Amino acid sequence: MVKRGSLFLRILAISLIILLTAGCWNRRELDTLAIVSGTGIDKPEEPGKVQITVQIIKPGEMKAPQAGGGGEGGSGGQKPYWTVTATGDTVFDTIREMAHKSNRKLFFPHNEIIILGEDAAEEGVQKYLDFFARDHEPRWLAWVLVGKNTASEVLETKAELEKVPAISISKLIEARGATSEASAVTLHEFLTRLMSKTTAPVASLIEVSGQGKEKTALLTGTAVFKKDKLAGYLNKTETRGLLWVLNEIKSGIIDVECPGGKGKVSLEIIRARSKIIPEIKDNTLHLAVEIDEEGNLGSQMCSDDLTSESAWKTLEKNQAAVIHNEVMAALKKARELNTDIFGFGEAVHKKYPKLWKDIEDKWDEFFPNLEVAVIVDAKLRRSGLITKTVKPE
Amino acid sequence: MKLEGGKIAGSELVFLMIGFTLGSSLILSPAQAAKHDDWLAILAGLGEGLVFALIYTTLAVRFPGKTLIQFNDIIYGPYLGKIISLGYLWYFLQLGSLVLRNFGDFFTTIIYPETPMIVFIVLVALICASAVRNGIEVIARCSILLVVFTFVVIFGTAILLAKDMKFTNLLPVFDIPLREFIKASHSAATFPFGETVAFLMVIPFLKKVKEAKTSSIIALIMAAMLLVVVAVRDTAVLGITKTISTYPAYQAVRLIDVGKILTRLEILIAINLLSMGFLKIAVLYYGAVLGTAQLLKLRSYLPLVLPMGAFMVSLSTLQFGSNIENINFAQEIYPYYALPFQVGLPLISLLIAILRGVPKKMKGAKK
Repeated sequence: MVKRGSLFLRILAISLIILLTAGCWNRRELDTLAIVSGTGIDKPEEPGKVQITVQIIKPGEMKAPQAGGGGEGGSGGQKPYWTVTATGDTVFDTIREMAHKSNRKLFFPHNEIIILGEDAAEEGVQKYLDFFARDHEPRWLAWVLVGKNTASEVLETKAELEKVPAISISKLIEARGATSEASAVTLHEFLTRLMSKTTAPVASLIEVSGQGKEKTALLTGTAVFKKDKLAGYLNKTETRGLLWVLNEIKSGIIDVECPGGKGKVSLEIIRARSKIIPEIKDNTLHLAVEIDEEGNLGSQMCSDDLTSESAWKTLEKNQAAVIHNEVMAALKKARELNTDIFGFGEAVHKKYPKLWKDIEDKWDEFFPNLEVAVIVDAKLRRSGLITKTVKPE
Repeated sequence: MKLEGGKIAGSELVFLMIGFTLGSSLILSPAQAAKHDDWLAILAGLGEGLVFALIYTTLAVRFPGKTLIQFNDIIYGPYLGKIISLGYLWYFLQLGSLVLRNFGDFFTTIIYPETPMIVFIVLVALICASAVRNGIEVIARCSILLVVFTFVVIFGTAILLAKDMKFTNLLPVFDIPLREFIKASHSAATFPFGETVAFLMVIPFLKKVKEAKTSSIIALIMAAMLLVVVAVRDTAVLGITKTISTYPAYQAVRLIDVGKILTRLEILIAINLLSMGFLKIAVLYYGAVLGTAQLLKLRSYLPLVLPMGAFMVSLSTLQFGSNIENINFAQEIYPYYALPFQVGLPLISLLIAILRGVPKKMKGAKK
């Protein structure tokens, strides 16, 4: 027998559980959300304003076209995304401003890219990125890019292999490993560099090419910031030079001259490792960058026999020289812009904390004149499925 | 007349104490002021905390079966003892309300910005009230399951984050001025290690009171190790952005991304806070309720559970206007405010007890 009091308590508990656990306070169903896949930030003509472009996914249009279903009409179906632009005083204000255009509330957890327009980036980005760091919806794993054109133009390009341009750009960055000629910087990395006293933030650089309806976006290198202001760009070669030092090389092709001098040989990077070693010699600060690389012979466009020991050794030497030149090119550019994109300052800080206290504030004067030794150890491991090239004996 | 009939084993005390110490310090990393040296500051704070723990356990062993409230009367006499006991009851309640507040702030910041904070606080307080009604034995048994789960989460997230960790973020070791380091390590000693003073309400129910010392020391060391793992994980993953993160552990776990599949696991941190914070609040709540009953010489503490819970809930919503006020209080005032409760009074109590020779050692069987 259950006592009356406890029976009442049980019924109360069960009804509370049913009532309280059935839903959340501010639940939001999928069909009330505008899922943002990419955000662009531009500086409009009007001073002191922010222009924000978001790309919203239309889940209803995302499904693959049905086989043989030509009933959709000749229009070719609608785009599965919607690009909206709004202008306001602050980032958050502008995003909320979009409620006048979009009947669904913008939802940021699936925002994959943050594109900063060139003008906005030159002005300083701290004020734009604070919202993305502070709000609980956007993720710190979003990629940060600088658009050489305006960010809204980049988001309005056409994606061929993906349905949504923003997702296409995000995948473009994830596929950078094939060349290692584009940097990939998450919001978290960007903020880390932004908070560092000496290390300069970098971001992927994206450009729009083509005309009219056939515009496509492509990665063309790296944008370099001084403090939070855009300072300049690295081209593809310089970008790879930067990535060698940062230990972020995945793969890529190194073109070297044939030992005979009649054409090029392509060497594929298989793995690479690097280390930044600060050292004090004779009371002056030196930096050494040690790079270990392994490559394979990928293709040869000359008819020489590369299997001889001397030719193989020459290839290895040329390979090392190319890597060396790429790093030097990046270094030259960094010195010109006086931006410590490599994190040399942090490396010195970690190794010589006492010395660092003296030079920390003078690092801008130190950096351009810093002696950097680049030591490359490049190996060539395999020749592929054939040894000598295809030609009559 | 016995207010609490339950008995706990030494191993249960270890788990309960680990859970209590992890409590909200899992999300509000202690010694955050020490930047990337916080793991060192936690270890230094552990040193200080172990001294505190020795004082508590010596007291507890000297007065076997007597809670803080009961032996205060013996040491200081019935009047002064009761005033000091009142101070402690306030401290337990306020600490419990602080942890409740952490709950509310955490959930309204990260997941439910539009839900009123009081909803979370009341829900958690109700669970704790139910635990307190069931007595210390139930709370202690819960702790085993919950602490083991937290173990798994801490190490699991550390493994999933392994590829994102940069241990060079921890360099250079000992980068902050000594003064700031001591300040940070002292704040780690008062939050969370010194808060184990609340266990003076729990240790009397140990099956073997002799185990109090070893159990407490083991528990504090293990909790500190877990906190160091968390601190190192967060610093290695977040780097300098840890210093501006409101909830570093949450921020770090948000960055888990293994092949785009194992991702968005941050809710694990909320579950950690929920389970460890529950243990902490339950112990403090229990201490306050049991202590009040003993102070007022009641026959049962059950009628006090809900009123004191209501007091704790209101206090938690009233004492701070914003999380920034809470952070400033925790960093600037709490390390000094907590001192008399955590070291001052226990140390004086121990000295007086030794000087006055209480309790009188009785030879042979009790007469």
